[in-house]
Amino acid sequence: MKTKLLKIKELPIILILIVISIIISVANPAFMTLENFLDILKSNLVLAIMSMGMLMVMLTGGIDVSVSSVITAVAVITGYSLMHWSSNLLFTILVAVLSGTVMGLFNGLLIAKLKIPPIVATLGTMSVILGLVLYITNGTWMTGIPEKFIDFGRKKLITFPTGDGKALGIPIQFLFLLVAVLATWFILRKTVIGRGIYAIGGNRDSAERMGFKPDRIIIFVYAFEGFLIGLAAVAHTSIMRQVDPNAFLGFEMQVIAAVVLGGASVLGGYGSILGTLIGVSLFCVINNGLILMHIPTFWQKIVVGLIIIGSISIDMTQKKRTERNKTRVDVE
Amino acid sequence: MGQTLIELKNISKTFPGVKALENIGFSIDSGEIHALIGENGAGKSTLIKILSGVYQPDSGGQIILGGRVVESLTPLEALQSEIAVIYQDFSLFPNLSVMENIALEQSVKNNDNLVDWKAMERISRDALDQLGISLDLNTILGDLSIAKQQLVAIARSLANNARLLILDEPTSSLSKNEVRKLFDIMHSLKNKGMALLFISHKIDELFAISDKFTILRDGKYIGTYGEDELDDEQLISLMVGRKIEYTIYPKNKRTEPLLEVRGFSKKGNFRDINFTLHKGEILGLTGLVGAGRTEVAQAIFGLNPADEGTLLLDGKEIINSTPNDAVKAGFSFVPENRLQEGLVLSKSIEDNISLTMLDALSGKSSLINLKKRKELTRNWMEKMDIRPNIPEMITSKLSGGNQQRVVISKWLATDPKVLIVDEPTNGIDIGAKSGIHQLLRDLAEKGLGIIIISSELPEILAIADRVAVMRRGRIITEFFCENITQEDIMSKAL
Amino acid sequence: MKPELKRRLKSKEAVLFLIFVVIFVFMSILSPTRFLSLYNLQSMAYQLPEFGILALSMMIVIITGGINLSVTYTATLAMIIGGFAMSHMFAGGSSAGLSVLVGIILMLAGSLACGAFNGYVIAYIGVTPMLATLGAMTFFEGISLQVTRGGAISGFPIEFIKIGNTAVLGIPVPMIIFLFVLATVYLFLERSRMGATLYMIGSNPKVTRYSGINVRKNLFITYLIASLLAGIAGILMASRYNSAKESYGSSYLLQAVSAAVLGGTSIAGGEGKVIGTVIAVLIIQVISSGLNIIGLNRYLTNVVMGLILIVVLTINFLTREKQFRNN
Repeated sequence: MKTKLLKIKELPIILILIVISIIISVANPAFMTLENFLDILKSNLVLAIMSMGMLMVMLTGGIDVSVSSVITAVAVITGYSLMHWSSNLLFTILVAVLSGTVMGLFNGLLIAKLKIPPIVATLGTMSVILGLVLYITNGTWMTGIPEKFIDFGRKKLITFPTGDGKALGIPIQFLFLLVAVLATWFILRKTVIGRGIYAIGGNRDSAERMGFKPDRIIIFVYAFEGFLIGLAAVAHTSIMRQVDPNAFLGFEMQVIAAVVLGGASVLGGYGSILGTLIGVSLFCVINNGLILMHIPTFWQKIVVGLIIIGSISIDMTQKKRTERNKTRVDVE
Repeated sequence: MGQTLIELKNISKTFPGVKALENIGFSIDSGEIHALIGENGAGKSTLIKILSGVYQPDSGGQIILGGRVVESLTPLEALQSEIAVIYQDFSLFPNLSVMENIALEQSVKNNDNLVDWKAMERISRDALDQLGISLDLNTILGDLSIAKQQLVAIARSLANNARLLILDEPTSSLSKNEVRKLFDIMHSLKNKGMALLFISHKIDELFAISDKFTILRDGKYIGTYGEDELDDEQLISLMVGRKIEYTIYPKNKRTEPLLEVRGFSKKGNFRDINFTLHKGEILGLTGLVGAGRTEVAQAIFGLNPADEGTLLLDGKEIINSTPNDAVKAGFSFVPENRLQEGLVLSKSIEDNISLTMLDALSGKSSLINLKKRKELTRNWMEKMDIRPNIPEMITSKLSGGNQQRVVISKWLATDPKVLIVDEPTNGIDIGAKSGIHQLLRDLAEKGLGIIIISSELPEILAIADRVAVMRRGRIITEFFCENITQEDIMSKAL
Repeated sequence: MKPELKRRLKSKEAVLFLIFVVIFVFMSILSPTRFLSLYNLQSMAYQLPEFGILALSMMIVIITGGINLSVTYTATLAMIIGGFAMSHMFAGGSSAGLSVLVGIILMLAGSLACGAFNGYVIAYIGVTPMLATLGAMTFFEGISLQVTRGGAISGFPIEFIKIGNTAVLGIPVPMIIFLFVLATVYLFLERSRMGATLYMIGSNPKVTRYSGINVRKNLFITYLIASLLAGIAGILMASRYNSAKESYGSSYLLQAVSAAVLGGTSIAGGEGKVIGTVIAVLIIQVISSGLNIIGLNRYLTNVVMGLILIVVLTINFLTREKQFRNN
């Protein structure tokens, strides 16, 4: 009964994913290849990691538009640390997650303690952080990442032999995604604070009455999001082998679109890891399909915008309908 | 009967200007179902909030709980003393599973870091077993019917080891079948030694299940009776036997129809509503809370349009599908919840009074004539005797009676044909109440048709010419308000 | 009259104006030759109108309890649609006058279309303004890019460029347009019946609806009007830059929110005065020009702008807390 229900909830979006995949592979057979799938995986790892953090934020009824500037900042710090401090992997990861967490903490404090609406608070931090990063880097690329780290980034977890001698493999960075998903899963599923995230999203007053501390939970959520962004920044830097301060312009929209597509409610309380991962996959497949079908990349933005508005509109329309048909009096 | 679980002595509660409870004293035993009875505004909710620690009573009273004597409770103390309240909205989480709704509180209270799903499953299954019901623990609460959600709320209080369970109008949105099931469960809890405080308006239900009745009236304790000491009629007369006497206005029979409601029905709201309102008449619409009175009023005013039925104003058919349509046609609606629906509290008296008159105040240029607006405001403030006489005053700072006068002014300014007032004197002190009665009566004399929704029967009898009684979404009967008593109406409404 | 005068001097707007004067004097002392130079004052006078109009547009929306994150992309999509037609007509041999006329009409129409899109999604479907306009922002950007292919549209007739770059009687044309818009917005918000309605909707939409007002229609029109203002700002920008590109003015989004909030508009809706927003626009313009003149990196200017927003909201929170405690 339990698994049955879970399946039903995410079923529609899985079906959409399948249908769209079929359409794309009919249009271009290159879609249904292992190479393409590994490609999609590699180029969307960062999006997937960040979607976990955004999911948590949206579960509390919040939103974060500063994620792209935070990952840029962390990537710059990471790059600097690699080049000037140490190319030790663990140290690098530590620097990245610490700086991400601090920035997330700042957002959390603004939202929980100063009661600034999340959209306005994160808009402000976005401007501050991005401004600082661009000032320090002057907007130019940072190259000269140590070989040791680049070598690490080239590693594959599993390789698949192919006919033409090329080695296809699951990139090492997949581990970061795995850690992000497992950590998110652990928090949401196994910890009391994780259930508190759902509880305050569902009924904040009751949650408070029950003994949860909403402010603390909100601060935690934004800090954890920063932590995940730290992981994403390391994965990103090891894939790109350089730091481009402009790489993430507008990226927050993609993260939000993927999470919304995965069924998370913008009003908080509803959303699952599985749903979000499928949402991310769907989003990536659509993007990949646009490329494979030679549709200009500008369409991507149009699609992102329409996905956000469309998903929420459907959500709203359904909610209104249930509200309208609610029985108010048990008529004799 | 078991031993005394909780005893109240001399419990009073004063709100600014209103004495909500006065020297309440009674006790509840383990293993009994104790009904708390009274009309709207009798003080039941206030008493529950004191028991659950939400309100602190005035000093001087005592609550004796398990041998301990305290003046008041905090919410935490109430929980630790194992008092659980199931409010009408249940305070549950629609997005969490049945299991978590029942058992998550334990983890929070124990300051656990990790969720022990196995323990949660055990706790919630135990609680549901005690109730003798089977629910899938992993179902999301929001997917359940209201009746099942209520059972989850009860299970949650069992999981919290509640010894006193307070049920606030638990049957108001249940079907007859569901009510029967709920009563079975209440019986079994009682047999296990739990005390239940049961609040309901429905006399047949009260007699079906209660061991004792405690009656409140106007914040005063009337008495506690065993179930065999009273019959329905006695109970009703104890409930409604108010000491407050309103001025009874002479009744008129009017003949010229103003508004005719024909065959109004809306699924899940009301069915086959028919009545006629005459010019210069005050028509009372009464019945229990949840009988569909407000729903009918909102349907007429276009807030909650009916699925079928027609509306005739001055003999001509009109369709009010939005409040905008209704206002244009000459309707006005003073809603029940003054603070959330009637007034923009953060704005001034002037802003609120002129809200309905912006078109008239602006004319062709669409710019508001500030002088005219000031005049209009002054005019109505004077006519309605709104105090203090400061048009710029923010309405949240006014007293309840003055706030209501602002809302009524806003509507009278539109020169309506039909005025619908929903519980117009709720939370207003007695002096201001008679003022509003006088005002409504004067308006009727000038030819306005008024529909007044009120749970307070003396109010209806004092000012209405006729009264229509609703029960479960239908109009059961109509009375001409002369030579009838509250008991006549009550016996139809229950 | 005296207490009235006292009250006015103590008002938020008076304090704000004092802050403006202090900052202006400070900047003048810091760099007397360049900040007070005719060149700088003029360039401020040319820049301020587009920003000021966007801030007023944002303010109108915030007063209804909403926000418009797509405001700058509305401006640029509008200028791109109109600019595309204008440059093609002009290149195709149409007269400059006709091209400019058609171009401007299309720019205004384009902005209205953006407003209708947002307004429909927000007022009739019921999506929260924040998310609707967040999606719209990317959507409009995508359409703009689709038209420009990532580049800029140029080749406008000189007559169009003149709008943003000439002065009449020493007053820059954009400033004249701004003053006209300012007066209209003031009359609209603070004197007209619809303006009064918007404040009530922003304070409590339910009560407003219960008072027989068509809240949806009013909200829809609000987004139309706010977007039309964005379109006007778009015309000024396109004319001043002599081209149209989707990213023009994107830093104005944050500044527009800041200006509204700094000017005393409540982010929760229902409160706010046009004069407050205007003074805040002056303050922000002086700060940004001043920082530019003393040679502060333009990226750091963004940092300052972000900090202003956060600091203002923090102060608002603290004063609210204090009032609450005093009650």
